[in-house]
Amino acid sequence: MENVTKAPASAVAAKTARDKAFWKKGLLIAIFSGFLYGGYTSFMTEGMMHGVWNDIYADVPTGVAAGVSAFFIVYTVSAIGAACVDIGSAIWSLFYGGCIGQLGDFKRTLATKPGKILIIAAIIGGPLASTAYVIGLQMAGSIIVPIAALNAAIGAIIGKFAFKQKLTPGMIVGIVICFIAAVLIGSSSMTDLNFSGGAALGCLAAFCAAVGWGIEGAVGGYACCMVDTEIAIIIRQCTSGLVNAVILVSILSIMGGDGIASGWRVLGACLTDMPSMWMLFVAGVFSSWSFKFWYKGASMCGAALGMGCNGAYAFWGPFWCMIICGFIFGHDGFVLPAIGWIGALVMVAGILILAISQNKATMQQE
Amino acid sequence: MRPLFQEVLYLYTDGKERSRQMVQDELRDTYGNFRFFKDKKMDEALHTAMSNGLIGESRYELDENGELVMYYQSDQDMIDLIKNYIK
Repeated sequence: MENVTKAPASAVAAKTARDKAFWKKGLLIAIFSGFLYGGYTSFMTEGMMHGVWNDIYADVPTGVAAGVSAFFIVYTVSAIGAACVDIGSAIWSLFYGGCIGQLGDFKRTLATKPGKILIIAAIIGGPLASTAYVIGLQMAGSIIVPIAALNAAIGAIIGKFAFKQKLTPGMIVGIVICFIAAVLIGSSSMTDLNFSGGAALGCLAAFCAAVGWGIEGAVGGYACCMVDTEIAIIIRQCTSGLVNAVILVSILSIMGGDGIASGWRVLGACLTDMPSMWMLFVAGVFSSWSFKFWYKGASMCGAALGMGCNGAYAFWGPFWCMIICGFIFGHDGFVLPAIGWIGALVMVAGILILAISQNKATMQQE
Repeated sequence: MRPLFQEVLYLYTDGKERSRQMVQDELRDTYGNFRFFKDKKMDEALHTAMSNGLIGESRYELDENGELVMYYQSDQDMIDLIKNYIK
């Protein structure tokens, strides 16, 4: 492509201002995606401490969860929690999409290649990566937190090689600093480190989760240059909700020896339990906006900067939990430790370096 | 009928140069009533496609009202890329 022809100074100034505004908007959207992810985490955490969830998480599960296996409580229930949030999020996304007149294009997009790519990315980054993360957490403990935090770096690498996006040494430094910050923040929860036989497998599962999220961020972001993010988020949340509720809950119920009926019975009870479901629905609304902005940020800024900014969820998650679960609902144990605040400052430095380096690389290219 | 943004990109597979206004003029009959057919949304969609290498900036100028007008065009690599995703 030939470069743009010589233009008068006034036009050059207008174009520079327009490019700067676009870049700033992309950056803000990407940063905001991480902030909203914190809201999603906090309402999901709080919701799963109310109503029917008290029966499920009791020392000896009672009520609808009476008699289920330990495997069910660890794995199937986490899929049920994710399914409740995703179904709430899908309903909200469909409602919002209808309000802004995007349902027609949503149906048309499903039949196209970019639409199918978004479905596959949603399955990889949604149910598969989340399950791998839970498995990793159970097998190796919180040592996997930094491994999972590699997702932004993996997304940047995928963006560079699959979509020819920029990745300069300065941007790599920024990503590494963001990664260190995520490790610092996550380290406050590393109290149950173990290096038993299953730990290596657990670490591998966590790495799979990081790859899954990396793929989703890079591929989903790229697909959003062909599909509007309002449509992409409907595809994402409907896919994730359906796969979690129908396929994953069924498979995990069978694997735990509890039978499909048990999984669906508990899922049905959770979906109709108003004391908790309204909070899981709020989590779903946050999730819808957070993932929408994640895709949009990555499509406007590239996977490296988009995912680097989104990576601040490592701070915003515990921060929102401190506000919602700690201050508002009065639960103990949600105060963000000093290391979390230090990690946040380090992350701001990492994002700044990443953003400045990316901006510099863009200007050099022009 | 393709989704709006995919139709916008597919227009560029003929290799011709177009501004946002020219794209809207070509698609107005079919997509004119779409809420996302508005100038701002279309400008952002074209800018995002440009950032991801599906179309390229060919030139720009100020119109009689002093508004910036961007022109985009796709080279053969970009056309192949668009056709790889959009049929």
